[in-house]
Amino acid sequence: MGKKMIDRRNFMKSTLAGLGGFFVLPSIDKKQEIKIVEAKGKERKLVYRTLGKTGLKLPVINMGVMLTDNPNLIRAALDSGILLLDTAYGYMGGRNEEVIGEVIKGRPRESYFIGSKVNLPQNRTTGLYIEGATTEEFLKRLDLSLKRLGIDYVDILYQHGVTRKESVAFEPVLKAFDKAKKDGKIRFTGISTHGNEPEVIHAVTDSKAYDVILTAYNFKQKHYAEVRNAIAKASQAGIGIVGMKAIRGGYQQPPTVRNITASLKWILQDPNVHTVVTGFTTFEQMEIDLSIMEDLTLTEPEKIELQKEASLPGLYCQGCRQCLGQCVQNLPIPDLMRAYMYIYDYRNLSMAQDLVVSLGLPFEVCGDCSFCPVKCSIGFKVKEKIQDVVKIRGVPSEFVA
Amino acid sequence: MRAACLAIGIFVLLWGAGIGAKDFQFPEFTGWKLSGEIQTFDPKTLYEYIDGAADLYLAYDFEELKVAEYQNDRKANVTVDVYRHKTPYDAFGIYSQERLPSANYNDIGIQGYSEKEILNFLAGTSYVKITGFKIESEDILTSFAKKVAENLGEKGSLPSLLASFPREGKVKNSEKYVTKNFLGYSFLHSAFTADYEITGRKFKLFIMEFGDKSECANMIQKYLEQTGKRREVVTETGYTISDPHHGPIDLIWRGNYIWGVLNMDNPDLRLKYLKLFGEELKKK
Repeated sequence: MGKKMIDRRNFMKSTLAGLGGFFVLPSIDKKQEIKIVEAKGKERKLVYRTLGKTGLKLPVINMGVMLTDNPNLIRAALDSGILLLDTAYGYMGGRNEEVIGEVIKGRPRESYFIGSKVNLPQNRTTGLYIEGATTEEFLKRLDLSLKRLGIDYVDILYQHGVTRKESVAFEPVLKAFDKAKKDGKIRFTGISTHGNEPEVIHAVTDSKAYDVILTAYNFKQKHYAEVRNAIAKASQAGIGIVGMKAIRGGYQQPPTVRNITASLKWILQDPNVHTVVTGFTTFEQMEIDLSIMEDLTLTEPEKIELQKEASLPGLYCQGCRQCLGQCVQNLPIPDLMRAYMYIYDYRNLSMAQDLVVSLGLPFEVCGDCSFCPVKCSIGFKVKEKIQDVVKIRGVPSEFVA
Repeated sequence: MRAACLAIGIFVLLWGAGIGAKDFQFPEFTGWKLSGEIQTFDPKTLYEYIDGAADLYLAYDFEELKVAEYQNDRKANVTVDVYRHKTPYDAFGIYSQERLPSANYNDIGIQGYSEKEILNFLAGTSYVKITGFKIESEDILTSFAKKVAENLGEKGSLPSLLASFPREGKVKNSEKYVTKNFLGYSFLHSAFTADYEITGRKFKLFIMEFGDKSECANMIQKYLEQTGKRREVVTETGYTISDPHHGPIDLIWRGNYIWGVLNMDNPDLRLKYLKLFGEELKKK
């Protein structure tokens, strides 16, 4: 019975039945307003929300510029009612900020908002800051960002890519924020996160040191309910919430979500999300986003499509690492599942073979086990997949190159 | 069943024109030790290493990143990031998106450049980024880069189409490869571009290469349609597109190529550069 319960619980995680409150959210009407925006003779009624205690009134979708250096696309976005341009010190080696600088040159400073991000050296395994992560370095990078952008201040400056609560309270960054605010170089402080988001968001709320959170948030996150709860608490504390990765590369080919419009609307059903930045790279995609900004209502067919997609079990390992230590041969299961994905998703046998060979596996894999004790959180038959993928070792490398 | 799929997969790739796996090994450096394990990132985990910048790398068919950190007795650090992309075009594309024309260039790999405590270079399908911390001199980065380049093997060369860009007025090291959605249109696929400056006028030239003439015709049709000027038949000739976002764009279609001028309001200069471009292409 106990075993059945565990299996069922794990199964439920990957099915719609396990996605409690998928669409059940508080009313959004009270927290937003409609503004009429005229662009190139066309009138649009766009939905605006207020970015928490910053008081900035923003359209519900803004532009993540990281994927484009097309100045005319950025111009078109600003001319169409988009107000916030999201960039970072590190995007395109700094060229991204330069392109934005070219576009905003000559525009009234109060007619747009800039959100940029500064990162500092981190240990990428632990996510903690390392030597070289200093107040001086942070401020030096901010100054370079301002120079590239050609402006005196950014509206929101984020501490970039935080995955640990310890980094939220990292003193050198907090000192840098204080100084930058005093010097008039930033209006609002922020933090960006797309890993371990709930922990980071809760720490931000508790710290009372930040005005804005930029977070990954989408219906395909296994822990989206935790992200939602953390966001709600932060929003109630007055922190502005900007969503990102709402469509998980939906504009990439092949897209990772099937219905971009529905995916974007899904995140905007949450009244605690004040705006979302999307990385559109074409005028057509921008038009889609603008049309969503006029009407956030999820249609019944869109709901059904989202439900279907959310209930699909993942075809590939989600990297939860809950299987570690369960195998009696101590096999590196997440790595083997990655190799499996290389073969069947990327169709890249050489990558798969390189990986499998590098793992130094025993000659006999799974051979002595008649029963596999590994319990995958999304129900994979791990043994079958491992026995399948290790066959790549026996293929001569010249055949997979 | 899975075994059958695996076998089919192998044959599919054998028939494809895939790039061979680079069996890259990080070199050893006298006086330096590897600090920690070599880290590997794939398209699904690249965000963990470079945050939102990963999106652009994914657009250029990023396949794998290997990271090694070295430390010496004086606690100086050198980090070597080796990004591997699907094709040399992709590697050049992401490299070209990040390089700054004003940097100090060198001939490591196909091409490299350095700034304070940073040295980046391009080699085949790899884009390598080397960063120093507390290093005594920039020469250390150069010696790291040279050894890494050696271990990467065949360095390859810049895409041959770049040689077709007219030299007069071209901003050095401004050439780029845009992998898709050129000019912000999904019907325009990839393109090479270069910046120009003539007596204070800044403009851009571009060229797109297609598999065959029908692809060129299709693209011209779609572009004309976008501006409400659809024609029943398009031929290999010049076109002036009144682009609502980019202004007037002159294009020439010849063979499997379409080239054009952007951001130039002087028609005479547009014509001159289109002609120059055509002449250079003939030499190809």
